[in-house]
Amino acid sequence: MIDLGVPYSQILLAAEQTLYMVFISLAIGTFIAIVLSVILVLTNPSGILKNTVVYNLVNTGVNIIRSVPFIILMVFILPLTKMIVGTRVGTTAALVPLVIFIAPYLTRLFENSILEVNKGIIEAAQAMGASHFEIVWYFILPEARGSLILSVTTGTIGLIGATAMAGAIGAGGVGDLALTYGYERLNFPLMLFTVIVLIVFVQVIQSVGNYFSAKVRGH
Amino acid sequence: MIKFIDISKTFMVKKQEINALRHVSLDIHDGDIFGVIGFSGAGKSTLLRMVNALETPTEGIVEINGSDINKLSFNELRKVRKDIGMIFQQFNLLESKTVYDNIAIPLVLKRMSKADIEKRVSRLLEFVELSDKKNAYPAQLSGGQKQRVGIARALSTDPSILLCDEATSALDPETTDSILRLLEKINRELNITILIVTHEINVIQRICNQVAVMEQGNVVESGSVLSVFSKPEQGITKRFISTVMPDKIPDSVMEKLKQDIRHYKIIKMRFLGDNVDENVLYFINRHFAAETNMLFASVNELQKAVVGIFILQIIGDDTEIDKITTYISEHNIQWQEVKL
Repeated sequence: MIDLGVPYSQILLAAEQTLYMVFISLAIGTFIAIVLSVILVLTNPSGILKNTVVYNLVNTGVNIIRSVPFIILMVFILPLTKMIVGTRVGTTAALVPLVIFIAPYLTRLFENSILEVNKGIIEAAQAMGASHFEIVWYFILPEARGSLILSVTTGTIGLIGATAMAGAIGAGGVGDLALTYGYERLNFPLMLFTVIVLIVFVQVIQSVGNYFSAKVRGH
Repeated sequence: MIKFIDISKTFMVKKQEINALRHVSLDIHDGDIFGVIGFSGAGKSTLLRMVNALETPTEGIVEINGSDINKLSFNELRKVRKDIGMIFQQFNLLESKTVYDNIAIPLVLKRMSKADIEKRVSRLLEFVELSDKKNAYPAQLSGGQKQRVGIARALSTDPSILLCDEATSALDPETTDSILRLLEKINRELNITILIVTHEINVIQRICNQVAVMEQGNVVESGSVLSVFSKPEQGITKRFISTVMPDKIPDSVMEKLKQDIRHYKIIKMRFLGDNVDENVLYFINRHFAAETNMLFASVNELQKAVVGIFILQIIGDDTEIDKITTYISEHNIQWQEVKL
């Protein structure tokens, strides 16, 4: 085996930390984003629950958070992080900014996915006497599923990028490993290795996403 | 019974008022196949969508079986909507669900048990002759098959009214015909009132018993298909009807007429229903001293009645021609002189 200058157990831990951060924040972020994007689509000016106040509120909120770079967002919300998880440092502390970062990002992606759903289907649902919840649950979300899966895939890859910066608050992870050991100690083989690991992560996630999206759209 | 009482609808588009409907009143009786025809933008779809309150009138009342649909609470409205099926030009099926699941959706919304849904959907699939496509997805179906799924879905809740929004406009003539036959069967066997909006006059001719002609938000003419087709009053109605029931002298015959120097008069007669059987032409030829020449004739069947259009050239002197036209009038046959 090649000597990477750090114990394999440390590399493994870093990988674990990255996966932990990505998937926990992805799960929470996806849930929030589904809710927000549905609200955006329903309340937008041509939506079935047109509501300018709610729409503008959510829309502006999403824009504001989206305009703050992740590294700044992370430091900026440290007090909030402390309030929610009880600490400002570590892997779990990184979850808060990661969720706050990814939820609005996914909201925009989901909003586009949902807007792609044929308006006629919503009209058919209304004509059937469906309630607003039923329209979302039985018509809009199933029809948008393929596109939503691709959006989650894109979001996941964005999250991996963000976790690399989470090292700044001691969250660990593959990105942090590359920066502290690879960059600062001029350990090129380790740097190369982490880059390869990240590429593999992204490739796998994209392939899985494409596969499932194609599967639900495949008819 | 569907009653439109003095309906107007005004849209604001770019700060400009658009009158989609102007004081429209129509009655659609139970068991009717009521057709609304007009060019696009005439307001017919807006009118149709008022029946299940997808559109609300700016003025006027829409009554479904005696109750004002726009005075219902949202939950009451949803109940009424479940009693009104609707099919669309673009079918509006869920691409992510199989034929079976598409038809089952309205029943799922009704919280029906799985076993009951299974039974009902199988029966509907049989009714629309698609049992073999149960597990197919919409993308694997032809246009006509998709519309059959749409129809089955609309019928799944046993509605008393079926709304058809340009339901055959995206289909080829042969498929259109099979869909129209299916709609006719639905009206006859399930006793469902059907309201159709279309820009295709053959749809009206083929299955409707009542018709309303719309132009720029107004109903310009309405009545039974038989009466409107046999005696269209408005220009737009005449234009529509002439495409399926031509009533013009062919160009080649026209050329010859122009060279005819004899004294003659051309009359267009419309026979309706029973009087077609009478031997009017035979009588004219036998009893009057004039020569008759058939320039054009067409016979069409409408609602199991016959509508005949004959254009006749009567060659003779004025007194004899007058006698003939008097004779025709006495037999209650509509006629009018055709000027070249």
